[in-house]
Amino acid sequence: MHICRVEIINFRNFEHVVFGCGRNVVLLGENKAGKSNLLFALRLVLDPSLPDSARKLRMEDIWDGIENPGPDDIVKISIDLMDFEHDENQLALLADHLVQPEPMVARLTYVWEPRKGLKESPRKESDYDFNVYGGDRPENRIYGDLRRRLPMELLHALRDCEADLARWTRSPLRPLLDEAVKNMDAAELTEYAEKIEEASNALTEAIEIKEQAEKLDEQLRGMVGTNQALDILLRFAPVAPDRLVRSLRIFIDGGKRGVSDASLGSTNLLFFALKMLEYRQLVDEGDREHTFLAIEEPEAHLHPTLQRLVFRNYLRLRQEEGDEKLPEANVWVSTHSPHIASVAPIDGFVLLRSNGKTTTAVSSAQLKLSEKAKEDLERYLDVSRGEMLFARGVILVEGDAEKFLIPVLAKAQGIDLDESGIVICSVSGTNFGPYAKLLETLNIPYAILTDGDPDEDGVLNGLRRAEALLEKLYPDVKWDLPTWDQTDEAATAHGIFVNSHTFEVALYEGGLEQEFDSAMTSISKTGKRTERMAAWVLGIEEFDASQFLTDIEEVSKGRFAQRLAACIVESKTVCCPDYVQNAIKYVQERANPD
Amino acid sequence: MSKNALIQTNVYGAAAETLRDNDRQWAAYESQGNCVVLAGPGSGKTKTLTIKLARMLAEDVLPPRGIACITYTRACAGELSHRLDALGVTESPRLFIGTVHSFCFQELVMPFGRLAGIDLPEPVAVATESDRSGIFAASLEAVHGRDEKPFDWLQRFGSFRRTNLDRYRDGFTPDDPDVAAVVTEYEKRLRKAGLTDFEQMVELGLRLVEEHDWVRKSLRAKFPILVVDEYQDMVPALDRLVRTLCFQEGIRLFAVGDPDQSIYGFQDASPDLLLELAKRKDVESVQLRLNYRCGQQIIAAAETALGQRRDYRSSKREPGSITIHKRPLGLEDQAKFIAEELVPKIVNRLPNGDPSDVAVLYRDYTTGSVIAREVQRCGWDFIRLDRGNPLPQSPFTDWLHDCAAWCAQGWKTGHPRLSRIIADWLGFHRYAPPDLDRRKLQVDLVCFLQAHRAPDEFAFQWLTRFRDAALDRYLTAGSLSRGEDENFAKLLKAFEPKGAFAAFTVRALGGQGGAKGHLNLMTLHNAKGLEFPAVIIPDLEQGRLPNYYALKDLAAHNDRQYREDRRLFYVGLTRSISEIHLLWSGWYQTKGFGKQNGPSQFLVEVAKAIGLPLG
Repeated sequence: MHICRVEIINFRNFEHVVFGCGRNVVLLGENKAGKSNLLFALRLVLDPSLPDSARKLRMEDIWDGIENPGPDDIVKISIDLMDFEHDENQLALLADHLVQPEPMVARLTYVWEPRKGLKESPRKESDYDFNVYGGDRPENRIYGDLRRRLPMELLHALRDCEADLARWTRSPLRPLLDEAVKNMDAAELTEYAEKIEEASNALTEAIEIKEQAEKLDEQLRGMVGTNQALDILLRFAPVAPDRLVRSLRIFIDGGKRGVSDASLGSTNLLFFALKMLEYRQLVDEGDREHTFLAIEEPEAHLHPTLQRLVFRNYLRLRQEEGDEKLPEANVWVSTHSPHIASVAPIDGFVLLRSNGKTTTAVSSAQLKLSEKAKEDLERYLDVSRGEMLFARGVILVEGDAEKFLIPVLAKAQGIDLDESGIVICSVSGTNFGPYAKLLETLNIPYAILTDGDPDEDGVLNGLRRAEALLEKLYPDVKWDLPTWDQTDEAATAHGIFVNSHTFEVALYEGGLEQEFDSAMTSISKTGKRTERMAAWVLGIEEFDASQFLTDIEEVSKGRFAQRLAACIVESKTVCCPDYVQNAIKYVQERANPD
Repeated sequence: MSKNALIQTNVYGAAAETLRDNDRQWAAYESQGNCVVLAGPGSGKTKTLTIKLARMLAEDVLPPRGIACITYTRACAGELSHRLDALGVTESPRLFIGTVHSFCFQELVMPFGRLAGIDLPEPVAVATESDRSGIFAASLEAVHGRDEKPFDWLQRFGSFRRTNLDRYRDGFTPDDPDVAAVVTEYEKRLRKAGLTDFEQMVELGLRLVEEHDWVRKSLRAKFPILVVDEYQDMVPALDRLVRTLCFQEGIRLFAVGDPDQSIYGFQDASPDLLLELAKRKDVESVQLRLNYRCGQQIIAAAETALGQRRDYRSSKREPGSITIHKRPLGLEDQAKFIAEELVPKIVNRLPNGDPSDVAVLYRDYTTGSVIAREVQRCGWDFIRLDRGNPLPQSPFTDWLHDCAAWCAQGWKTGHPRLSRIIADWLGFHRYAPPDLDRRKLQVDLVCFLQAHRAPDEFAFQWLTRFRDAALDRYLTAGSLSRGEDENFAKLLKAFEPKGAFAAFTVRALGGQGGAKGHLNLMTLHNAKGLEFPAVIIPDLEQGRLPNYYALKDLAAHNDRQYREDRRLFYVGLTRSISEIHLLWSGWYQTKGFGKQNGPSQFLVEVAKAIGLPLG
């Protein structure tokens, strides 16, 4: 089972957001974007540990934009669930709350609304009451029993793991050991206890140990007198058979070190693993049907490497075709850690953005891409540390050359891309489609820079590519583009910018001949390539674009670009090809409208 | 297993020990798959059913899944939930106990109707008897003109709706188009009035189950076991519902019933449905044979009345006594004899005798009225269960009786339990608008009950105070079922000073479910499932039982009604624990004429079989 849709109306910073979501969700957003509020909204519906007094909201919980709430200003939080129909226990719990039969979707709703009999507009908390109900039927009220069987549990930053592991009552190890005790033969257990008692006694009776204990006892008597004596005995944990198993503790590194010696990261890893086992066991034992685990900003206490380790495998676990057993828990992580974002499932992002007045939420759940394209994107996010997801705007380019050079060209124009939150992202080729779709879905402004690559007839392959992209990205638009000029115009209007040859040629012809010459010279003082470049720049020979590119590729495009960038900085030139300038302007306007 | 479940185990486990000596009861208790228990009168069927249900709920079904337990009448559902309560099993989302109508409404129509595209008014209320007859008369007039009398059409109309279960399907052609047109008009008008009725609930419930996979699947998830009590009374729609759910969808069935006690033929129930079910290969059929209630002589008489040998054995040493009384001066004479001689004699003779040990059972309310008049004249307190009863009977008025019982003695004895009364009260408001303040609802009730524990207060005064303190607000708000406000007004009127029951106290009101000191007058139908030390059956005339129609049909080689009348007499006789009095005059009045047909032939057969004079 998983949450497949969330709708929030008039709650705190949310006026009205509605978004779909996949199995596991990574909730991204800057500080104050409302990540915690969103998780709290879900808990109002699902968390059994939240007392009813917490379900009674306060006036300030009503959306900030409503100054004087009227009778129709209702706080409403709806959660849709799906993928439960194959599990009869889950279906038994949700059958009364269906809003769609095939495939089944159940809806649970929390409302905070003015009492109906109120004569005037509500003014205070006591004018309101809450109701939690299912299936869009307000009379179909939901009580604690449903929440207890489908709980949302909130893990505040994973930080107290060590203390939790040490304290029996809170230890996630406890249910596992209790289960073990249940299945053990009582006689066998008693036998172990007796053996340990025996060994413990033998050790206690050892004269050296006894002496130490007596010494301590004597010291205490000297301090507080015999009445307050504590009766000191040096021995092991209590050995009553039923408590024996409970006194087992986790050791790591083959038993050499206890948990308290482990790094915070390993403890967290352990804690998380134990939690997952516990959830599975609770389901197996029939205590609950499913768990929604909410984790707030785990990055606070988790080393980046561990953040990636813990969440990569877990979050990206996809339901395989024909898998009978669904996982017992879904995870909702709120984070601004790129390390976690970079290992999140591509269709599991929910992005919160606030403009100060209201907050929007977009989700990648409805991203329609092939499994292969999804994997490509995930790989890309992984190596790029998910930077795209945190950007205010993105320029998609073909390769490293653009990635190195465009920030420099922009700076020369007086635009600092870093400060503007604009990221250059290389797709290492021309397969822009999946990236553009993701950005489109997440509502992140972007532009695409692609090479013209003219064919033998002089027609630009880049424009063919642009047209295909337009059709793919805007399938609902009926494209009627009889001439290539019209294609170019339409592409530009939608943020796809095509040059007439290649990036390097465009730069060279755009007024950076001197810089190309310097760059080539700095790479090798002599040689055919350097000579050729000098001859073209000086006008001794006619410029040969194809030889020019071959020469650069032989040096390596990336290396050349780095050198060229240095030369541009040095020469303080302000030259920049129009199509690049237009692209930067296009994204800048959308990313930073002010 | 949790601690709670273990405690529960012990309760029903201990109770189950009492089944062990009866191998048939034990077989039912041990059944694993589909099981049909054919249970004669007094065979401990309710006990077997409730203990088995408690066991299945604890051992065979784990939360959150549960069991639905369906029966035909409200009284029967109430009895089941009362008996389960004693076993520590209470209603919860995991346990539905109720009538087939409320099952269809609560568990099918409400959650799934809208999703399945069923066009129900919103909000929808359940039509009262007067809503129904009004809409029916108007529909009949609209279709066939004002010369038609509703009474002549009522049976055909009801029967058409109960038996033509496929009429919503494409290509359905009614065999009785005249009635079909009235039904269509009736349902149109019902909808327009924002109403539904019992027949429609069942029909819609069946339709949802038959047409939609996902409805069946959801139901199976919630209730992997279906328990049906009084299966012989079930209308054809329910039989189809059970078959679809159990034999198509794989829900496990535990059904109990007695084909010999099938007496709802006028509602198209038939003993054959249960018998067919019991014969299925995938059903384990268990026949309970031991009768714990009646003596052997009473069993013999009953089987003679039935016209079938069943070979039931009595667990008792005393054979039971049967006496036939001839009162040649007609029904009034019989009534006078009952009130003046029979009842005082029986009460004096029985150890700790009380009028509540005696039941007078009859065919219909016309007889009831004659008996009631005489009984009242002689100063007996009585409870009357038939259409002539001035006290309305509804879930709400039944609940008022419980409230009174709690105020009279329940707060000391624990019966009825306050929690139960509160749960029912909240249950009445299940479909109330969400703005209803449920906390206040409960507080108002408890405050009143707590403050009015006055067994000797007059019922009228107590009800008036109850109305003013708590009920009024909810009766008028329309959150209680439709018609309950009228029922309350009627009830109050009956207890008015100078009203029929002016002398009733809270204690007496609370005893309306079988109070000490009250003689029981009721129809044979209402007596089903009950037992009394002494049973009196008057009006045993040829033409009354069997009645005129049964005999007319029989002459035309249709013995359906005739056999049902036998079963009706059988039900009456088997209510008795130790003695039976059968009364006849040899003639009866109908439409102002006397009919001289002699004693009921059933009575003659019984007298002959056990060698008794006809009086």
